[in-house]
Parts: sequence; structure tokens; C-alpha cells
Amino acid sequence: MSIKRVFKAQWLLVGIMMLGLLVSACNSTSTTPQSAGTTTTTGGPTFPTSALALRAPAFGQQEAPTVKVLASGDPTLIVQFPLVPSGIKQLFPNATALVTIVEGNPAISVYDTVIVDVQNMPPNQKFTVFFTELSAKPFGHAEYVGDVITRGDGSAESIYHLIAFGAFAADARQASVTSTDQTGEASGIQLEHVGMWFDGVKAARQVLNNPSIPGTPFDGGGGALHAGPQVMTDGQTLPVI
Amino acid sequence: MQFVRRIISRCAIPLTALLLIISTQAGIASAATKVAVAPVISAQSRSALSPTNANDAFLRQLQREGRLARSVNVLDSLGQTTIVQFPLVPSSIKQAFPNATGLVTIVRGDRNNAFSDTVTVDVQNMPPNITFTIFFIQFAGKPFGNVEYVADLTTRGDGSGETIFQCIAFVAFAMDARNPGTSIDGQEGLTSGTNLEHLGMWFSSLEDAQKVLNDTSLMGTIFDAGNAPLHAGPQAMTDGQTLPVF
Repeated sequence: MSIKRVFKAQWLLVGIMMLGLLVSACNSTSTTPQSAGTTTTTGGPTFPTSALALRAPAFGQQEAPTVKVLASGDPTLIVQFPLVPSGIKQLFPNATALVTIVEGNPAISVYDTVIVDVQNMPPNQKFTVFFTELSAKPFGHAEYVGDVITRGDGSAESIYHLIAFGAFAADARQASVTSTDQTGEASGIQLEHVGMWFDGVKAARQVLNNPSIPGTPFDGGGGALHAGPQVMTDGQTLPVI
Repeated sequence: MQFVRRIISRCAIPLTALLLIISTQAGIASAATKVAVAPVISAQSRSALSPTNANDAFLRQLQREGRLARSVNVLDSLGQTTIVQFPLVPSSIKQAFPNATGLVTIVRGDRNNAFSDTVTVDVQNMPPNITFTIFFIQFAGKPFGNVEYVADLTTRGDGSGETIFQCIAFVAFAMDARNPGTSIDGQEGLTSGTNLEHLGMWFSSLEDAQKVLNDTSLMGTIFDAGNAPLHAGPQAMTDGQTLPVF
């Protein structure tokens, strides 16, 4: 056998091998969508081919008119409501905030997800976020939830995972104190409003150009009353969460 | 047989070539990965891997001075992070579940940039398939004082469970803004409100507690949200400390 013929046969073999590899790669199980609302089963996994039916879940009978309960897939509960400027209204009238609260399956969820998005706020500032008993002064009982730090353009986003829909304040020594929440009579004082505060009174005085602004308790850590005034509020009398 | 030999002899060269190509490519890829990773590690070892962490040192000092509970482990964390761990021990479930254990891990990033802390609660040998509520509290034992409801934990069939949530933990406090008052935080000094420096777990349902603990005389507590009042059960796990754990 000549060397030429040997080489020809070998390259033929390589070609066949490559073709084989290509065919085997293309021969994997595939599913193709058929008509809407049906599922396809061609031996592999089953995939939905139409959107999940949405429903507007019951949230409560006393929520504020600004609260939008989103139509969502069962069994989730998603509400959204805006925050409006309070202490910064004159200098930052276009400041906006959107709060989104997501609860998975209410029967088994271990916490809620709270997302706070802000725009046109004082830039490069740190703000605290609180659940409060009342949306305006004197605010009443409060729970420190997290912080929001704005970028240079006054925008920011923070996400927290904690109990939001059922948030309440209580002193266990006074177990008989109750209040009404979205589910009815419940233990403690319900915290059904959301507000944002300057985390430092010094920053507030600088931003608002007012050296006489007094300190408030709306930040954790030392020392007392080192936080600034409220900057954003849900502004509602009825509950938003 | 001759046919097979012929095939093998003819395939030897292309097969060897294929193997050579594949091994060469693999070698190049692994070498490239090593080259990409090497400078990162060396940079870290020069800066972030520094053994000194001011926050850790401060917390250990508080522990030595008796201002932070002995049950707290301050981990050797890097950079500006603060990581503490402390155990939970059974309280009302002690007799029925003496081997129940809980481990709480709290992580804070940079003090100035973090917008929440991350709290992980891991439990073992607890009553199975039961939902517990988790609260930050003023006192580890009765009367518990001011409280903040932070999350739930539902155990699996083997009594284990884990929950992770993100909220303010290290500087958690309760207050009524009409009269916030002040209190001393072990780490922060004088602060507004009443500091919540302990963590406990409660049966979210009194009925569950009565069934699990085989005691129908148990009383309802406030330690769950929603209707009706006092529908929660007794405390199941506690950090059990007088001094703050966070």
C-alpha cells in the first residue's frame, strides 16, 4: 500500500469521526412550544407555554389609598406604595421613593422582602428607614429596619429581609396591649407606616442649610438623638403595610 | 483480526494527533487560569488579609471588660467586617428536647457602607416540622422587656432548620418616639431608645407548643404577629446571657 493511500484513508477516518461528533451533539432531546396554554412532553422535562394566571390577593380592609396591591401569582402578596418628601420638601421637591414589599407564601414564608428605591434625594447621604406607628409626628413606636445610601445623582436602592406585614412593637411586660392590624386584633402596637430619616443631624443641618435643626432618635448607635429629621414619609393615616 | 489491526494501525496517527491537540488546549486553559488568579491572591495577601481588625479587637476588649457575653465568639474576620457567633440553648423545650442546639451568626460589612446586617440562625434537634418566631429582645429571660419580631424558622422533619435575614441587628433598639429615652449599648455607649441585645425563639403557635410539650396548661404569649392576641407559645430557645450577645 502506498503512503499516499494510507494518508487518504486516515483523513477519511478523521472526517467520519468529526461528523459523528457533530451528529451526537445535535441529537440531544429538545422540546418545542406548541399551542398556547399547553405543555409539551417529548420525553424530557415539561415546560409551561403560557403565563401564570394572576389574582389580586386580599390584603386587608383598612389600607391607605396609595397602596397598590399587585395582581400576582398565587400565593404571593406584593404591595407597592410611594414615599413623598417631608423634611426635604422645599429643597428637594422632586424627591420620590417607591417601596415594594413581597411576601411569598404567607403560610410558610419566614420573612418579607422590602425594597426601597429613591430618586432625586440629597446626594451622597445616608438615611435610616423605620417602620412606625404613625406616618407623621409624633411617629409613636418605631422599628429600625435598615439604611439607604444615595449615589451622587440622589438615587439609591436598598433591600431588606425581615418581618414587615406583621411588624409590631411590644413590651412583653405589658402583654395585654393589643391593636388592630390587617388580620384583626393582634398583640402589641402595629407598625404600619414607613419613613426615612437623616442618619446624622449634622448632615441634615448642612444639606438643609439650617443649623438649628434638633436631633432625633431615628438612628441606632451612640450617642442619643444624633439622627436628623424625617425626609420621606408615606404620608398616610391609614396603614400602608 | 487482521482487519482490526489494520484499522488500529491506520487510526494511530490521527488519534494521537487528536489527543495531542486536546491535551495542549487543556494545558493552555489551566495555565491561563493560574496566571489570572495569581496576582489577585498576592494582592489580597498584602492588604485585606491583614490579621488586625479594629472592630474585632474592640469587641474582644468589651468581652474582657465584662460588657459582652462570654458565650460570644468574635471571629477573626477580614478588613472592616464584623462577624460574631453565639449559641442558643433550649429553654421551655429543655426537658423534651435536651439536645436542641442553635447557632446564631451575625455579619456586618463596612460600618459606614452596610445598609443592614445579615443574621443566620441554624438549629438542630428541635421539635420537627414546627414554625418558630425569632425576636430581638431586651432581656434573654423573662420578662423579656421590649421586643422586635425579625423572622421565622420552620424546622424540617429531622428537627434541623436554618433561616437567614437582613435587617439592623448590632444597633437594634425599641422606642416610642413620643418619649424615646436612652440606654447604654455595650458597644456604642449612650444611645436613643432601649437596646435590644438578645435573641430568642418562640413557638409561633400555642397549640403546637401544647402538643409538642404535652402540656395543655401552657399560656399564650405575644411572640407572634397577627390575629389573635397571645396566640404564640412559650420561648423555645434563648441565648441565656445577662450580658449582651450583640
